[in-house]
Amino acid sequence: MRALLLEYYKLRRRRVWAMLTLFLAAELGWASVSMSISISRSASNASWEALIFSLSSMNGLFLPILAAIVISRICDMEHKGDTWKMLMTTTAGRRSVYAAKYTCAASLILYGILAQAVFIIGFGMLHKLEAPLPSGLLLQFTAGTLVASLLIAALQQWVSLAVKNQSFALCLGMLGGFLGTTASLFPAAVRKAVVWSYYLDLSPVTYHYQASAGSYITGTIPALQCIAALIITLLLYVCGNAHISRQAI
Amino acid sequence: MLRSVAAEWPKLRRSRMGLVLVSLPVVSLIIGCANFYMNRGALEGGWYSLWTQVSLFYGEFFLPILIAICCAFVCRLEHTNRNWNLILAAPVSITSLFIAKLVIVGVLIAGAQALFLFMYWAAGQLLSMTGPFPLDIVMWTFRGWVASLSIAALQLGLSIRIRSFATPIGISLCAVFVGLGLYVLKLGLLFPYSLLTVGMGVLTQRGLTPAENLLFFSMSGVYLVILSAWSVRRMRASAAA
Repeated sequence: MRALLLEYYKLRRRRVWAMLTLFLAAELGWASVSMSISISRSASNASWEALIFSLSSMNGLFLPILAAIVISRICDMEHKGDTWKMLMTTTAGRRSVYAAKYTCAASLILYGILAQAVFIIGFGMLHKLEAPLPSGLLLQFTAGTLVASLLIAALQQWVSLAVKNQSFALCLGMLGGFLGTTASLFPAAVRKAVVWSYYLDLSPVTYHYQASAGSYITGTIPALQCIAALIITLLLYVCGNAHISRQAI
Repeated sequence: MLRSVAAEWPKLRRSRMGLVLVSLPVVSLIIGCANFYMNRGALEGGWYSLWTQVSLFYGEFFLPILIAICCAFVCRLEHTNRNWNLILAAPVSITSLFIAKLVIVGVLIAGAQALFLFMYWAAGQLLSMTGPFPLDIVMWTFRGWVASLSIAALQLGLSIRIRSFATPIGISLCAVFVGLGLYVLKLGLLFPYSLLTVGMGVLTQRGLTPAENLLFFSMSGVYLVILSAWSVRRMRASAAA
């Protein structure tokens, strides 16, 4: 807990919250414009399902990059200041610093996901959507996005701490964003191996393409894939933690 | 000036920046080609259709971010251990320091563009594309590089000012969306990031008229000069402080 508080303390003047908010504003602004255009073309697009699906697909592009940037900022300060040696002279072990950094990053990403949930509610109310707020779907959207983000965060933190040159971590984030966006083009079996596609796969709303038009299908997030995502997260976290803790400093 | 440029090169040694410069265009090209192959029936424009598939993400998202990564990287060493003090105490002008960094980023991006163009040609051969290789594509790639220089001038200014490696890259991504919005509003020539979209023919494969071409190069030149002057001024101000 003390290590976590110190992580927040280190970030106090780094304007990470401001950057996160700016970045989210870009995503939500884009989502808002695209949904408004979609509704103006056809009133049938004014639905909670369309809104949730739209954000889930955009998250595939935005959240991997956002996670890469946030985590790079949290981890790079130790590389730049060469503070690992200093940290090792304190009672805090590398494992607890690793855990604190992960929790700190996860909390920042959670803030972004909650902001998206608030945006969905606000946008729906502003456009006076007919159906009542589907709290179950919204909760599942939040949970699914969080699970996918935790996985990506575990991967990004490992790379950001293992490789000093942050270009690699940010490049991975970019590639992840690209794969997350184009994931819908891949066959289902391939998609399961591409972790960045989980933003769309763990969404409670899917889009069914038909010959001339499509329709939104609601359901529950696939439990098996959700469990698989959590297991991969745990594996990445444990392997990353073990690797970083044994790395020579 | 040449010595300043020569001094920048050793900083790139063993950085494996080549991997970053290669990976983004390669992935973009592979997925673009796969999509083209799967939808070949609907995409009948030959070389031009292939360009729409491979350049969309590369020109719109990857290239601006790649420029931001390169700019942040060439400033990284100076931000570490307060090396700016050492660099600014060297007997070279601040302008030549800035131009040397801009030249290095320009060369790196030129390499990425050349690789992208070569891979595009190779992919066309593999996909048995009919018709001769369109020279428009060479022009679009070149214009993309010209627009990249003005973005690089801005990103260098940000990376020199901001100590964080990731923040200028985040700003670049936000600017990409602003650029996309301005392009949709037909104000593409008024913002460096949308100049890239216009120059590379990412969203529309309509060639530019001679007047538009002139305007494009003029705007790129103006942005390059203004943004470089702004960046050098910021550097000078921070050096004096």
